[in-house]
Amino acid sequence: MPDADNLVTLTIDGQTVTVPRGTLIVEAAKKVSVEIPVFCYHHKLDPVGACRLCLVEISPGPPKPQTGCTTPVAEGMVVRTNSALAVGARADILEYELVNHPLDCPICDKGGECPLQDYTFRHGYPTSRIDAPRRHFQKPVPLSDKIALDRERCVLCYRCTRYYDEIAWQQELTAEQRGVDTYIASQFDQPLQSIFSGNIIDLCPVGALTSRLWRFESRPWDMDHTASVCAKCAVGCSVTLWQRRNQLVRVTSHENNDIDEGWICDRGRFDYAEVNSPERLRTPRLGGRDSTWDEAMVALVDGLKGKTLGVSLRQDVTNEELFLITRLLAGPWRGARVALERRTRIPVPSGETLRIKDLDDCKAIVVVASDTADDVPIVNLRIKKAVSKRGARLLIVHPNDLDLDRWPHAVHVRNEPGKAAEELLKLASNELLSEGPVAVLWGDGRGSEDTKELASAVAELASKVDGRAMPLYRATNERGSLAAGLTATDDDLEGCQAVVCFGPPAPGRIPTSAMFVAVWDTVLRPEHGDPDVVLPAVSFAETQGSYTNLEGQVQFLRPILPVEPPMRESWEVFSDLGQRLGVGAMDFLGIFQIQREAARAIPRFAALANPPPPERQPTPVLYGPARP
Amino acid sequence: MPALDIAQEELGYLTADAMSEVAELLNLDAGYVEGVATFYSLFHLTPTGRHHFYVCTNLSCTLRGAVEICDHIKQRIGVEEFKEVSADGLFSVEEVECLGACEYAPMMRYQQSFHYDLTPDKVDTLIDAARREVSSSEDREAHG
Amino acid sequence: MADAGAALRGSHGLERHHLLTADFGTPDLHRLDVYRRCGGYRSLEKALKEMAPEEVHAEVKASGLRGRGGAGFPTGTKWGFVPKDVPGPRYVVVNADESEPGTSKDRYLMENSPHLVLEGACIAAYAVGAHQAWIYIRGEYDRPHRLLTDAIGELRTEGILGPKPFGKDYPLDIQMYRGHGAYICGEETALLESLEGKRAQPRSRPPFPAVKGAWGRPTLLNNVETLANLAWIIEHGGAEYARFGRERSRGTRLLSVSGNVERPGVYEIELGVSFRHVIMELAGGPPPGRRVKVFWPGGSSAQVLPEPMLDLSTDLDEIARAGSMAGSGGVIVMDDAHCVVKAAHRLLRFYAHESCGKCTPCRTGGDWAVRTYERILSAEGSAVDLEILDRIQESVQYGRCLCALGDSAGQVIASTMQHFRDEYEEHALRNECSAEVPRRLDRTPRTEPHPQQKGAS
Repeated sequence: MPDADNLVTLTIDGQTVTVPRGTLIVEAAKKVSVEIPVFCYHHKLDPVGACRLCLVEISPGPPKPQTGCTTPVAEGMVVRTNSALAVGARADILEYELVNHPLDCPICDKGGECPLQDYTFRHGYPTSRIDAPRRHFQKPVPLSDKIALDRERCVLCYRCTRYYDEIAWQQELTAEQRGVDTYIASQFDQPLQSIFSGNIIDLCPVGALTSRLWRFESRPWDMDHTASVCAKCAVGCSVTLWQRRNQLVRVTSHENNDIDEGWICDRGRFDYAEVNSPERLRTPRLGGRDSTWDEAMVALVDGLKGKTLGVSLRQDVTNEELFLITRLLAGPWRGARVALERRTRIPVPSGETLRIKDLDDCKAIVVVASDTADDVPIVNLRIKKAVSKRGARLLIVHPNDLDLDRWPHAVHVRNEPGKAAEELLKLASNELLSEGPVAVLWGDGRGSEDTKELASAVAELASKVDGRAMPLYRATNERGSLAAGLTATDDDLEGCQAVVCFGPPAPGRIPTSAMFVAVWDTVLRPEHGDPDVVLPAVSFAETQGSYTNLEGQVQFLRPILPVEPPMRESWEVFSDLGQRLGVGAMDFLGIFQIQREAARAIPRFAALANPPPPERQPTPVLYGPARP
Repeated sequence: MPALDIAQEELGYLTADAMSEVAELLNLDAGYVEGVATFYSLFHLTPTGRHHFYVCTNLSCTLRGAVEICDHIKQRIGVEEFKEVSADGLFSVEEVECLGACEYAPMMRYQQSFHYDLTPDKVDTLIDAARREVSSSEDREAHG
Repeated sequence: MADAGAALRGSHGLERHHLLTADFGTPDLHRLDVYRRCGGYRSLEKALKEMAPEEVHAEVKASGLRGRGGAGFPTGTKWGFVPKDVPGPRYVVVNADESEPGTSKDRYLMENSPHLVLEGACIAAYAVGAHQAWIYIRGEYDRPHRLLTDAIGELRTEGILGPKPFGKDYPLDIQMYRGHGAYICGEETALLESLEGKRAQPRSRPPFPAVKGAWGRPTLLNNVETLANLAWIIEHGGAEYARFGRERSRGTRLLSVSGNVERPGVYEIELGVSFRHVIMELAGGPPPGRRVKVFWPGGSSAQVLPEPMLDLSTDLDEIARAGSMAGSGGVIVMDDAHCVVKAAHRLLRFYAHESCGKCTPCRTGGDWAVRTYERILSAEGSAVDLEILDRIQESVQYGRCLCALGDSAGQVIASTMQHFRDEYEEHALRNECSAEVPRRLDRTPRTEPHPQQKGAS
C-alpha cells in the first residue's frame, strides 16, 4: 500500500532515495548501490550495532558517527558514508578485525565468498601495521559432525549465538569469557544437537563456521549453482544446489520469504551424500548382474503379470511422476495398493489452507499433535518468529514437552495420546483465541491420533475463532499425491505378491508376501532385500519436475546435475513402462509435454502448465550464499 | 546468577554438573548458563584454595604497594602465579580490579569481607590464623 | 571481621556543609530507629503525604542536582524522560555497581547510612510512578549488601516498604540484586542486561532505558549518591540545595581521594572548591619529600591533569573546560616517585580485562594497547609503538565504540601521552625510566580523628 505518509526521502552520499518509514540506513543504502559493510547486522536478526563497521555520518545528528544498522531513516536526513570520518572509521574497524585474524585464506573454505576479504579489499587499509602476537585457539573445533568452528577466524559478530537465541530458541551455542578472550563454544563442548544448527554456516561472515561435509571441497568460482526446492519434507524450502565436476557438493539456503526466509534445516542441508555415493546405481540390474533397460523392463512387465501389486513411492515423488502413475493406476495397475514414504494420514483438505507466510500476521497460533521441530522444521521457525517477534500467542496440544515450551507464556495442554481432538475443542472458548486471525497447525501425532476426527475438530475450532487450518503433511509431495487422487491406502503392503519400490520401501521393509520385487532407487539399500529387478533412479538433484508443498503451492525443481546415459529420467521410465503395459498416449517426448497434460488432467496441477523459464546465470558470488 | 552463587558457595567453584543442574532447574539451556558463568569474574570455573585472597592491584592500591603485598602473599603460601592453588590446597591469591575501598589501600577481599591497610605483617597474621583454623578443624575431625 | 567498625576515613564533621554526611559517625546509624531519630524518613513521608509526584520532580529540577555516577547528567531532566502515559509497571534501578578505579564513595554511603540510600530510592520511585526498585550492587560489596538487606527487612517490618507506606496508598518495595564481578555493569544498559540474568553487554541506544529498560519497561537508573541527596532536597527544598555550589554545579558531592596522599578518605565538599584544597588540605597532600605529579579528577576514566592544574575548581563544567571530566569523583593522586607509563599500562590492563567483548574497537583495541605497552615497558618499544597507541586512542573514542568504556580507555592513553610525552619517549625510544625512583611505601594512615575534625564523632 504505497502511501505518501509511510515513505521517507533522504540523501545518501548525495543521492536521493525514498524508502518506507522504519527502513534502516544500511538497507536504504542498498537501493542506491552504496555499500555499507556490515558484520553483525543481518536482515533477519534484530540489529545490535555491535561490530561498528557500518558507522556513517548523519546530519542532522550528534557529531559522533552512528551505526547505520540500528538507525532508521528520517525525512530529510543526510547520510555520508564517504566522508573522511566514515571512511577512516570503517578502515579502522577492519584493521581491528584483522588484528587477531589468522589470515589463513589459502586454506579457508570461505575464501572467494568472504565478506571480510571483500570489505578489506574495498574499504580497508592497504597495508598492515600489526605485528603484535595474535591470540591463538586450538583449531578447528568440531561443533558437531557437520560443523567446524575456527575460533581464530571468528570476528565475534555474534550472529550465530543471536540466531540460536532469537530464531531457534535455543542456547546450546554460546559466547564464553569476556573481552578479547571471548570465544564461541557449544555447551560443555558437546556436539550441537539442534536440527537448525546448519544455518550458522550461512550466517557466519568469515570462515569461522564451516561445513565439514564441504571442507576443502571447492572454491566458489569453480561451482555452478541453481535455486531449487528441498526434497526432504513437505515444507518445500528453497535451496541452492551447488555442483562441481558433476557432483552435488553442497546445499545452502535460498531466501524465499513466503516459506523459509532464508533458513533451512539440517536434513535439507546435509543429507545429500547419497547423490554422490559411489554406490549409486547407474545401470539396471537383473538377478545380480548388470543388464540393459530393455531386458530389465521386459523382466519387470513379466514379473508383474497376474500378481497382486503393491507400489511404494518415495516421499519426493514429483507431481509429474504422480500424474503418470495415475495413468497406470487407471489402467493395468488398477487395484494396486500404494504406500507413500513418511506420509501422515491427514486427509485431503477441504478448501484453501493457511499459508506459511500468513503465520506472521496471526494473533494466536495453536499447534496440535505435532512436534513441529521434527515434522516441519522450518514452519517451527516461522512459528517462533510469529510468537517472539510479532507477539502471537501460543497454544500447544501435545502429550510431550516440546521445544516450543521455551516460550514462558505458552499454554500447553498435555493430552493423552488419541484425545487431541477433544482437548482441541475445549480451546474454543479460551480467551487467548478471542482475537483473530488464529492459525491452527495440526499433525497426526505420528499415528496416535484419529486424523479424520482431528480434521473435523480443527475445522470446528477454526470456524469458531476466526481461524484457518494448516494441516502439517510430512512427506515431501504428500499433498501432490492427494491432489493426484492417490490416497495412499495403507503403509503395510503385506499381502501383495508383487512390489514395485520407487525409492526406499515405505513400510521400512519389503513385505514378506512379495514374490516378485522390483526396486527403482538411487542406491540399493539393505531394506530392499534381494530384488529381482533393479532400476537406477535419478536423485532430486537431477530431476526435473515439481512438488506440491503442504500449503498446496506447486514449486518447480531445477536440477543441477545432468542425467547421462545409461541413466534415464523418471518420466522416461514411466512412459516406457506405460507403453509396455499397453496404456495409450504414454509416448511422451519431454517433461513439458507431461506437465501440460497433467495440468489438463488434474485441476490442482494447473500450475504445471506454466513452468518458470530456466534461471539466468546468476551474478558472480561476491557475498556468499547468505547475504552478509 | 543468584542460583550460580549458591552452587559456587556449596562447591567452592562451578562444575559442569552444577551449571547443568542450575540450567535444568531454571528451564534454561546449559549453554546459556555457561555463557553467563564465564562472563563474570567472581564465578570460578576452576577450584580455588580453601582460603582465597582477592587483592586489588588497580592504580590507587598499586601506588601504595599492592604489588609488593601480592608478591609477599605468593611467597608465603608457596605459589608462583595468581590463581594457582598452593600445594596443600589451602591458599590461592588473585589480583582483582578496584574493590571500591581506595582510602584503605592496599586492601583485599577475603572470606566475604574487606581487609584494609595491608602490610606484610597483617597478611602473615591472616595466613597463620587460617592455617591454625584448618589444623584445628582437622584435629576435631580426627578426634571427633 | 577486619572491616566492621573500621574508622571512617573522611570529612564528616570537617567541612562547613554536610548535606549528605551530617550524621555520619553516629553509632548504629544503619539501624532504622537511630536513623529516624536523626530525622530519617521524614522526607519520604512528606513526599508521599504532602506532595504530588510532579512536585517532587520539580524540587529535584530546582535543586540543579546532577548525576553523581559519572556522566553528570541533570537528574531532574533524566526523570523527565520516563514516559508518564505508558501503562504497566516501571522500575527504579539503583546503580550500586561502583567499580570505577579510585571511587569508593558509594560504598562509604551504603555502609554508613544505608537508609539514606533507601529513602532516596523510594522518593525517586514515587516521583516517576514506579512501585518497585532494584538495587544492583556489585558482588564484592559484601558488607554494604548485608547492611542494605537488613535495612530493607526493617523497612518491611515497619510497613514503610509495603502496600501502604505511611498510610499512603502507594505500594513500594525494594529488592537487592548482586553483580558478580564486571565493571561494565556500571554502564546502564549493561546493568539492565545483567539484572535480566544475561551476559552484561550494553545495548544500542536508542531506545534509552527510561523508555525501554528492565524487561522492556520504562526504567529510571540513578547512582547511589544521586539518590542519597534526595532526602535533604525534599526536606529543605530544591532552591535551598541550589544555594550551595556553583551555578551549574549545585550542592555538594563526595570525593574519594586516594593514592599517594597522607589522609586518603571520602570527603564531602561543596562543589566549586579547588582540587588543591581537596588534595593538599583535606587529604594532606603527598608524603614528605614528594610532590604531586599528576592526578585523576574523576576516576581512572577522567583525563589526567598535571600538577599545575591543582588550582582547578571542582565545578563540573570547569573540569570539562580544562579537558577532563568530573566523572565519579574518584580523585587519584600520583606523586613524582611513580612512572606515568606504568600507571597507564595498569589502567589499560583494567579496561582490556573489563571489556565486554561486544564491539570490535574496544575489545581488540584495548588488548592491542596493553600489548603495545608491554613492549614499550620491556625494552622492545620503538617510535612505531607510540604511533600505534595514538591510533588506538583515536579509533576507540568519539562514537566508535558501543559504550563509554572504549572512550575511557582511549582517554587514558591520550591524556597521559599529551601531558607526559617525554616519559613515553624515554621508555619507547631509549628504554629508560627516570620517573620511578626507589622509595619507601606510603605508611598506613593514622586512624584517629582528623586533626581538624569538629566535635567528638
